[in-house]
Amino acid sequence: MRVGIIGVGLTAFRPSTPEYSWKELMFEAASRAYADAGVDPRADVGSFVTCAEDYYEGFGIFDEFVPDQLGAALRPTCTVSGDGLQGLANAFMQIQTGLIEVAVVEAHSKISDVLTPIGIIEHGLDPIWNKPLGFHPYVVAGLEAAAYLRATHTPTKALDAVVSKTRRNALRNPIAAYGAAVDMDHVAASEARFEPLRSLDISGPADGAVVLVLASDRAARRLHANPVWIRGVGWASDSPSLETRDWAGATYARLAAGMAYRLAKVRRPSSEIDVAEVDDRFSYKELQHLEALGLAKSGEAGKAALRGAYAADGRLPVNISGGSLGCGNVFEATGLHRAAEVALQLRGDAGSRQIDGAKVGVAQAWRFVPSATGAVAVLGAGP
Amino acid sequence: MTFLERTTDARRYRAWEGNMEADYIYTSGLAGQRFFVALRDEGRLLAARCTACGLDYLPPRIFCEECFAELTEFVPVPPEGQVASLTVAHQDRTGALASPPQVWAFVTFKGVRGGLLHRLLATPDAARPGMRVHIRVRPREARTGTIADIEGFEPARSTK
Ligand SMILES: [Zn+2]
Repeated sequence: MRVGIIGVGLTAFRPSTPEYSWKELMFEAASRAYADAGVDPRADVGSFVTCAEDYYEGFGIFDEFVPDQLGAALRPTCTVSGDGLQGLANAFMQIQTGLIEVAVVEAHSKISDVLTPIGIIEHGLDPIWNKPLGFHPYVVAGLEAAAYLRATHTPTKALDAVVSKTRRNALRNPIAAYGAAVDMDHVAASEARFEPLRSLDISGPADGAVVLVLASDRAARRLHANPVWIRGVGWASDSPSLETRDWAGATYARLAAGMAYRLAKVRRPSSEIDVAEVDDRFSYKELQHLEALGLAKSGEAGKAALRGAYAADGRLPVNISGGSLGCGNVFEATGLHRAAEVALQLRGDAGSRQIDGAKVGVAQAWRFVPSATGAVAVLGAGP
Repeated sequence: MTFLERTTDARRYRAWEGNMEADYIYTSGLAGQRFFVALRDEGRLLAARCTACGLDYLPPRIFCEECFAELTEFVPVPPEGQVASLTVAHQDRTGALASPPQVWAFVTFKGVRGGLLHRLLATPDAARPGMRVHIRVRPREARTGTIADIEGFEPARSTK
């Protein structure tokens, strides 16, 4: 059975959203997705999957707070404590069982409500071996960036190219919070933070919500929808301990992509994929993830970035949405946003950032520092 | 360069301030007990050995990541390690400016799966990947049997 994305709903991503509660953000994204899909959530949707972590929300048992703002009261709901792309994989499988015909996936960030976001990320560090040392959790990203650049002989200048390209892309995305005409020199001159990372290598926080409506091919026909097909999904985790994981190669992304490519029958990703949206919440992650996804050879992504290969008019447009560097870090909504972007590109609905002729796209998620968990979805244009 | 600085402080608008208060103790487990007692009493590092895989794990644990065997044997870690990666942090754990900047390193040991993340007791200029280091432990009377019994890694005497 084929499963497709038949509705996309996004709020604007903004550094703060003082006029809306987090529930109202979800309501807005859901209303947009249902309008896009032409579905009534009270009648047409069989299952609702939300993706959230109690700590980011500020209260316990998040899933109990879900139903009403999604039109899901008295309906099957569940919460995945992970990135929205992991929720997409769950909804995909629910439909594959034949039990559910239409499923909704939601993820959001109201990080501006969190007064101590770094403290929450710090709680992800091992409480016995790592956290007592008292380091900023982005130290993990600094260590990994240094290991990646060294292992792959990637020059720091390649990071300048990533940031400049991606934040400029965001200028064409009306929902992006951090679009800016940043030059490579600006990036290189920005303040040192967690060397080799500088302030502009690090995505800034944003609020926002993303809702996707998924349907079986039969339900999609019945609803007269124009689906983008989910050809493959995959997810994986590297060793959870900082000490035993792979510091250079994003093993979690390689394994997740392998699973998704097997399902999608993608054998040569570098020639079969037309657009890629990969996690770039730190600039080096874009390069590391492209290599892990088989879209560049190990050590080649940085050189390709410097040649402009990942620009809108390059060999493989990457993070045309503006990525997280340009759109903002929307935490658990990050991967679902990228799936939404790929879906819009494959539908031809990406506005002034549309990539002509895009038929196959990949979206990849990572659960941010200090995790080594990722998910991948391969999407294909209809019919 | 415009649009680079944005307000993320929602406290300036109508809101209710609250927190999620929660306090814990984190038990270090069987392997942690062995490690931290040896660190406190003898000032040395222990790894857990999987004889089936021929792997010594640091930090030690009682299960092998590769074969899922239960691990019961603990072996000493070589005294000298090597900086696998390092970062100079200009922000402290709260995000405030760190002055002077802090140097953090991930250190690996020959023949050991894993390693340890800790402070590198060297100036940013003197710190480089590949440098040989050993742990500096606090004086015996100051040790409590936690990771903080280690002050950090200092450059090995042979390379000073
Ligand atoms: Zn073993």
